[in-house]
Amino acid sequence: MRFLKNIFAFLIPLLSMLITFSIFLLINNVVENYKSKISRDYSIVIVTNTPLVKESINELAGIKVENIQTLPNDKIITSIKSSLSDNSIELLKQKLPNFYQIYLEIFPTSSELEEIKQTLLQNKNIRKVEVFYKNHNQIYLLLLLLNSVSFILFFIITLFAIIIIAKQIKLWFHEHSVKIAILRLHGASVLYSASSILNYALFSSFLAFVICALFLFYVSNNMTVLFPLELHDIIDIKINLSVELMKIFLLSFCISIFTIFGVLLKYKINND
Amino acid sequence: MIEAKNIYLSYDDNKYIIKKGNFTIKPKEFIFIGGNSGSGKSTLLKSFYGDIPLKHGSLKIENQEVFGIKGKKLRVLRKDIGIIFQDYKLINEYTIEENIMIPLKINGYSHEVSRDQANKLLAHVRLTHRAGYYPNELSGGEQQRVAVARALAHNPKIIIADEPTGNLDDYSAEVVWNLLKGANEQLGITIVVVTHRVPKNLGIKFRQLSIEDGIIYEVS
Repeated sequence: MRFLKNIFAFLIPLLSMLITFSIFLLINNVVENYKSKISRDYSIVIVTNTPLVKESINELAGIKVENIQTLPNDKIITSIKSSLSDNSIELLKQKLPNFYQIYLEIFPTSSELEEIKQTLLQNKNIRKVEVFYKNHNQIYLLLLLLNSVSFILFFIITLFAIIIIAKQIKLWFHEHSVKIAILRLHGASVLYSASSILNYALFSSFLAFVICALFLFYVSNNMTVLFPLELHDIIDIKINLSVELMKIFLLSFCISIFTIFGVLLKYKINND
Repeated sequence: MIEAKNIYLSYDDNKYIIKKGNFTIKPKEFIFIGGNSGSGKSTLLKSFYGDIPLKHGSLKIENQEVFGIKGKKLRVLRKDIGIIFQDYKLINEYTIEENIMIPLKINGYSHEVSRDQANKLLAHVRLTHRAGYYPNELSGGEQQRVAVARALAHNPKIIIADEPTGNLDDYSAEVVWNLLKGANEQLGITIVVVTHRVPKNLGIKFRQLSIEDGIIYEVS
């Protein structure tokens, strides 16, 4: 009972942080799934005077260019081939502009598409830019907003959690100060002297991870708890549970170990 | 071997508790350090295990310079010393057996070896029947016997004791003196004891130092 009471003040902030992180992961997952669903629902076609050096366009409006595909102009020539002489066809081949389609790594918003268009038009080699897209803007922007809000919330809770966890570790140091002093007088290192505190922290982290894993497992099987049923028709909500659990596990232990080593380092500097 | 040359000790820079301390303690010696309350006896003892830094001078313990010692070197030095305190300094959440195992485990012995050694020492201090007890379930005399057993556990070259019988009745004090005497005679451990009252009829050759106004004198 005393042990549980001891770890409670460590467990609660850590668990709050992990659950916020889980929610962020779920929302992020929804956004990613939605992105992949709408990823080809836009098109950027450019027309150039001379062949394009594809490597010169790596990024547009802050979005990495995934691929630039050359569009064959053979069809145009084939359709008018019968009414032209061979010389004229050759001349036409030389005079015809080059057509390319640009694919981006992520789905752009309408304003980003407009920015891309303006950026491309600044290139003197580019004669024309045509941009087409299906309007997913409202849902997409809302999801991005939700994603950002959940990340900011996670970030703030993490900061507070680290402060509370550090305070709790300091409190444990105070409670164990006699024991730590005795062990150090016998030649023990700071790490050895504080091993019981380290055990508290690791056990709390493990417990927080287990509770959070149960939460994520429940939510992944009952998505309607977080997301309305109608959303499932629009977005395919799937999560890779093992990958997400690994992320939560790493975060739980990294935060605990990072905080405890921070406090240990401070203790070592003050006492050595 | 403990060798002090011109050592100065203070908690702040304004007043030296020990000034120009010069003395040598040879291996296997039994030394008493006396002096009035506040004369700096305990401070001198603390400097032996690096709990108080030296301001000036040189203090060598088993050829290890203590001046400016810290980190790993300090830990190694402390592993060579057994310490006994007036207030025992046992860890209350550990059993008696576990308390004796502390220096052994810190010195890297396995749990089994540490437990065997602890049980031998418990038999030596006649507390085998208390092995599973916690310190606060024992009398002061018994706790100090545990502290002596802990100081002996890792077979140190030096045992330093700060008023080891200060809180004990005459009978318990005699038991503690006999244990320290045995450690010196049978195991050849150098014993340095800070005390107000040097026991009568200790039955062993010893040397006495005294501190007055921060100066260390050889009494006998």
